Amino acid sequence: MGSVVSTFVIQGLHGLAYGMLLFLVASGLTLVFGMMNVLNIAHVSFYMLGAYFSYQMLNMVGNFWVGLVVCPILVGILGILLERFLLRRVHAGGHVQEFVIGFGILFVVNESVKWIWGTADLPVPIPQALSGSVMIMGIVYPTYRLFILFFSLAVLGFLAYILMKTRLGITVRAAVSDRDMVSALGTNTPFVFMLVMGIGSWLAGLAGVIAGPFINTYPGMALDILVDCFVVTVSGGLGSLLGAVVASFIIGELSSFGILFIPRFAIVFPFLFMAVVLIIKPSGLFGEKA
Amino acid sequence: MKRRNLSLAVGAILAVLAILFPYLLPKFQLRMLNEIIILTLFAMTWKMLLNEGGMFSFGHAAYFGLGAYGSVLGWIHIKGLSFMSGVLLGGLLAGLVGLILGAFLVRMSGTYFALLTFAFNQLIWAIAWKWRDVTGGDDGLGKFPKPDLLGISMKDPANFYYVSVIIIGICLFICWYFIKTPLGNVVMSIKSNEERAKFIGFNVNASKMIFLTILGFFAGISGALFAQFQEFISTTTIDMGMSTNVLFMAFIGGIGYFWGPVIGSGIFVYLSEYLSSFTDRWEFFFGLIFVSIVIFAPQGLMGIIRTKK
Repeated sequence: MGSVVSTFVIQGLHGLAYGMLLFLVASGLTLVFGMMNVLNIAHVSFYMLGAYFSYQMLNMVGNFWVGLVVCPILVGILGILLERFLLRRVHAGGHVQEFVIGFGILFVVNESVKWIWGTADLPVPIPQALSGSVMIMGIVYPTYRLFILFFSLAVLGFLAYILMKTRLGITVRAAVSDRDMVSALGTNTPFVFMLVMGIGSWLAGLAGVIAGPFINTYPGMALDILVDCFVVTVSGGLGSLLGAVVASFIIGELSSFGILFIPRFAIVFPFLFMAVVLIIKPSGLFGEKA
Repeated sequence: MKRRNLSLAVGAILAVLAILFPYLLPKFQLRMLNEIIILTLFAMTWKMLLNEGGMFSFGHAAYFGLGAYGSVLGWIHIKGLSFMSGVLLGGLLAGLVGLILGAFLVRMSGTYFALLTFAFNQLIWAIAWKWRDVTGGDDGLGKFPKPDLLGISMKDPANFYYVSVIIIGICLFICWYFIKTPLGNVVMSIKSNEERAKFIGFNVNASKMIFLTILGFFAGISGALFAQFQEFISTTTIDMGMSTNVLFMAFIGGIGYFWGPVIGSGIFVYLSEYLSSFTDRWEFFFGLIFVSIVIFAPQGLMGIIRTKK
């Protein structure tokens, strides 16, 4: 009996770790959508860039922690540039054009990465301090995954604090519910958009850096997470941070336990989940407007 | 009158050229032309969904791929299934799925519509990928029969070219004609103002569902022909990449114009052929083109041509 329970716990933890990673990427996507009504597909390319920057940084500096601080900031700056020089120009054209341009950028980044770093998987070693493992219910569990869990929880807390307690957070929440009104009240909304875009990309970059040692760095990683990320943001409700948290957990656990029970069709579950949620509640679990 | 004469003349020249192409063009050029013609119908259905119906689909490959898989499985498992019946079978399967999915899709709008189409596409793709016993998974299905049509061998590229020109031509004509019908007008009125269309008394959801079914059917026909064209199908006919391709084709040509998908699929096929022959990173250029089209020519190449006039 004991081994069954511990398998469940391990698999559950594993799903949780992946869910947290998903959350880091999806939260940026959903924040940006909530504010700007843009489903920024290029978002996942920031995740990939985060991972590759971190690989590069590791080779140059040799310290994972430096990369963890510096790379997401670089990615965040890229996000701000993208908003300022590309997305803003096509915003008037409606969501179709924004969707398409996001795709174009994803293509460009994807291929540039292959050009610069090659097509092979790049191994990123787990940092020394976290390379060990701990015993959970009699089973050895890698410390790094626990680190992902706690680190993401910390980021989640930080995000919640910013959104709920700071002036920027109040502005963002107000802009999500009524952008024009906030603008009319004298807030420089384009600037806030830029900031949100920066924070969103920073989160994606952060996810990329910590994903490196967890699932390797490879050219397909952006497209791989894009799909799961879509599922999370949509089923959670576009623009809802709480929805992103809940849906990330569900998708993480679904993939994790799906592989345990029905390995062959595990890949179907997230899409099935998304389709069912959308059919029952078109705006997603916690979304308001459909 | 003058414009009409001009377009008639252009049409006549094109028709003569279309008949002569198998004699004029080298084999691989004819093959590419054939691919363009088949993909044009696919791009047209996507373009109509967006431009006439106001629905942005990000899962259009589902219909294309279902058409391909449906017809191929028919040719493999039904003994003596004729060429046309196979193509129709593919189209009908795609249309049927279009109807079923349409029932859920019509309640969505904007980004949510796009994302639900995406979810359905992924669902169908995942099934096609994992249901190996039937679909062959990512090994795909090859070596299926290529039946003759009315005693004419389809194995000859020229014959196959003529047949696809005729089938696609008829389908394109029906698509064009559909917009002129009362139902087509209802669909367009829904796009411009759904509330008003509802208020006047049109059954908005039913109209949209019929529209989705018809477009699904034609996308399926295109997929079935594509399967016979390639003589091989795999999950690439049904995956996200195919959904992106159709977006590219329709966008580069210009979604506001009837000829947009024609030009778009032409450019798509030629570009992917030539770019991939000199660089592995051809998708990089596709991305660049995507970005520049959206920024500099949101109405596509047709938009550029039209505004110059």
